[in-house]
Amino acid sequence: MDRHTIFDMVVKNVAEVVPDLAGHDFQLTDSLVELGVDSVERSEIVIMTLENMNLNIPAVQVFGPKNLGELADLLHAKALAL
Amino acid sequence: MTLAGVEALNVFGGTAYCDVAELATHRELDPKRFENLLMAQKSVVLPYEDPVTFAVNAAKPIVDALSPAERDRIEMLVTCTESGIDFGKSLSTYVHHYLGLNRNCRLFEVKNACYAGTAGFQTAINFVAAQSSPGAKALVIATDISRFMAVDVAEAQEAEWAYAEPSSGSGAVAMLIGENPVIFTPDRGAHGYYGYEVMDTCRPTPDSEMGDADLSLLSYLDCCEQAFGEYAKRVPQTNFRDTFDYLAFHTPFGGMVKGAHRTMMRRVARAKRDEIDADFERRVAPGLTYCRRVGNIMGGTVYLALAGTIDAADYRVPVRVGVFSYGSGCCSEFFSGVVNPGSREALGRMAIGTGLDQRYRLSMAEYDQILANSGQVRFGTRDAVLDVQAIVPRAVEVATAKGSLVLTRITAYHREYGFLNETLPAQGSRNP
Repeated sequence: MDRHTIFDMVVKNVAEVVPDLAGHDFQLTDSLVELGVDSVERSEIVIMTLENMNLNIPAVQVFGPKNLGELADLLHAKALAL
Repeated sequence: MTLAGVEALNVFGGTAYCDVAELATHRELDPKRFENLLMAQKSVVLPYEDPVTFAVNAAKPIVDALSPAERDRIEMLVTCTESGIDFGKSLSTYVHHYLGLNRNCRLFEVKNACYAGTAGFQTAINFVAAQSSPGAKALVIATDISRFMAVDVAEAQEAEWAYAEPSSGSGAVAMLIGENPVIFTPDRGAHGYYGYEVMDTCRPTPDSEMGDADLSLLSYLDCCEQAFGEYAKRVPQTNFRDTFDYLAFHTPFGGMVKGAHRTMMRRVARAKRDEIDADFERRVAPGLTYCRRVGNIMGGTVYLALAGTIDAADYRVPVRVGVFSYGSGCCSEFFSGVVNPGSREALGRMAIGTGLDQRYRLSMAEYDQILANSGQVRFGTRDAVLDVQAIVPRAVEVATAKGSLVLTRITAYHREYGFLNETLPAQGSRNP
């Protein structure tokens, strides 16, 4: 699974959790905080993406990314490490 | 087998509060994000209140309702707090004194962020269940305050942490543990615990808090799933959807519990969105009844949720409540117990909702003034005299009507308190 596929998964989950953002043209540099996504919504997006990837790791292990590109990169690295 | 559980429970949700929508507007926080907190009010600690006064004011109605013989069987007093006032001396010693308890009593304090209340609770349950002193009772008091030091507006608005101010409350929950558990009977052996080291939220200096909302939320969610998973291993046939009639979760703010419930229902119960929303209203929302009016009171929050469930839920037969406790740092536990209509009747005598109704609503100017002056009683204060009557006089009227314990003086670090119905001398007008 490459990083673009993961990025697309994240974007799909953002749109599902925050329907208001469904029409947004997401970029790798987009920050969920700056898009107005709150902390509860952000945690759901992370956990749903882990589920989509069948990545069975603690969610705290994917804490830290500042934008969607960094999140996709970290998820990609975690998947490779397993 | 000896029963061990909660014989009496009471909440002290402060003397004053502020409206959190008003606070959010005052701090120029995003109104949409703020609504997602599911918070209405938060209790605010006044300068003459501290974890001791909160603890005593929560426990006193319980102790007063006991006969002298029953009171003398309280052989363990555990204070559970992350708002300690001394690194060595336990605040349970002050609480023991002002409650007038038997000196043949174990006094100690436990700390583990918001898990402290559960650490004390389970210790007391085990003390009674083990029958090492048959007939003895234990008093467990989770008591915490949040004194936000004067912050400038820029700091108050800083990123995510700004949302901690509207949700941080002050309050205490007292529970009498014994062999006649009319309020809550824990299912023996039915618990799963899960903990590990993580730096999510903390109090690195005596009067400040810091943390990362994202990390704390992810850790809470990890722990909820793992602690429940361990519970389910120990209790065969457990089903997250059907085993528990109600769920009482540690509630930093209601929106977080809503998110955790949604995640658990989706991942563990494989439920769809519509079912999840209806389940939240039915099983979880009663537990938010008091939490949304007091704020996050740390160690006692999960028991504030339990009190809300007992008082507000609609049940006519014994029901099982699933309880999830989480404390940053971290440790967590999922356990369960039974309440029945008699529990609601007994808890109703404490009139918790009425006590919250009686609090004084602070204006934003009064609230900011309290923050600005909070350094007067900061950790490590050697000497201070509190002019109780001069600080927000209308709040003092509330405390006087309740006969609340207040802090009057600190002399060489020793704290002195008095009950307001004992007619405290006003500063500068001492009796000749």
